[in-house]
Amino acid sequence: MLENVNFLLIREIISSVFIIIGVMFMLIATIGLLRFPDFYIRMSAITKGATLGLGLILTGMGIYFNEPDMFLKVALIISFTFITSPVAAHVIGRTAVRNKIPFWPKTNLDEFKGYLRKDHMTRNHQKEEKEQKP
Amino acid sequence: MKTFFVHLLIALISSYVYFKYGDPIFPYNAIWAVVVWSAIMVVLWLTTPLYHKSYFRKLPKAIAFVAYFLKELVVANLKVAYDILTPHYRLQPTVVALPLSVTTDFEITVLAGIITLTPGTLSIDVSSDKKILYVHSLYLKHNDAEQLKQSLKQGFERRLMELTA
Amino acid sequence: MSIFSFTLIFAMAALSICLVMTAIRFAIGPTLPDRITAFDLFVANVIGIVAIYTELTGNVDFIDVAIILSLFGFLGSISFAYYLMKSTR
Repeated sequence: MLENVNFLLIREIISSVFIIIGVMFMLIATIGLLRFPDFYIRMSAITKGATLGLGLILTGMGIYFNEPDMFLKVALIISFTFITSPVAAHVIGRTAVRNKIPFWPKTNLDEFKGYLRKDHMTRNHQKEEKEQKP
Repeated sequence: MKTFFVHLLIALISSYVYFKYGDPIFPYNAIWAVVVWSAIMVVLWLTTPLYHKSYFRKLPKAIAFVAYFLKELVVANLKVAYDILTPHYRLQPTVVALPLSVTTDFEITVLAGIITLTPGTLSIDVSSDKKILYVHSLYLKHNDAEQLKQSLKQGFERRLMELTA
Repeated sequence: MSIFSFTLIFAMAALSICLVMTAIRFAIGPTLPDRITAFDLFVANVIGIVAIYTELTGNVDFIDVAIILSLFGFLGSISFAYYLMKSTR
């Protein structure tokens, strides 16, 4: 019974479905990059969409090739993307806050004002002390 | 945690060698590879009560955590996708200060990464004494910041603390 | 032309449109962090294109390019952010 099934066709169909869904997520993330009004909103839309889309495309590719080597390499790329993408987003976001990139006017910043005032004040203060010491 | 990574490496290498140089019952395909890999993991898991007691009861919780995380990832993407594709956005962005109960650097890193990857939230900064995590969120229901904080704490932080405690 | 290669070519075209739109944001982005984010998405798009090209040609060697590219994209965005943080203090 197993001899009659066309396994190549099944693999091609599963792979196409994964790739189409992944490409759709990526396209939506890119439209979000163009449309959203503010740097922070854009970034929180992008990190999720790009990570999930890339994972789905690579999974589809691993299913199509059907080799142990390929599956290992695909797992390597996916795990690496899932580890590094939030780290990069966090670092860029922190840099943006430190550089005083403006928020969207509608953003509710009540709990953040204390941080903006206090942390920057102390940091500038320490910097001045350091400069005065030598 | 160390035991888990050692087991992961053993299972990956042995299943790879089995498919590459051994003589598999069925020819290689992705589902069969995952089945063999998880069978090796289960066998290794059953031997753990001999040398690592707590790992034996932590692994089911870890699997539940990963499943919950994947579900949240897909739901988050669909939510944001709906907002991108409709012409008027219903955004109410806000920044909340989330008080942290986790203490070590590793736990804070994992928590910040998971928060960045889930529903409309983005971790911006950690205060200098490592007590507060600032989270930028896209959706705030009824102007209720406490509810958002409670859901983040109950959803991820509690499960993470159960795993690493 | 089978339905499978049609799917792959469609996916390739969609990712190319993504590249063009990312380049527009790269050009008009008002601040420097905007451009770093656009660069991040650029690298992710190119990795996707390399993956689909591998599948289209059936040549397994191209996947190594994707591994190296994912490493260097992370390194690039991190070093840009670090440089930006150093330069404004």
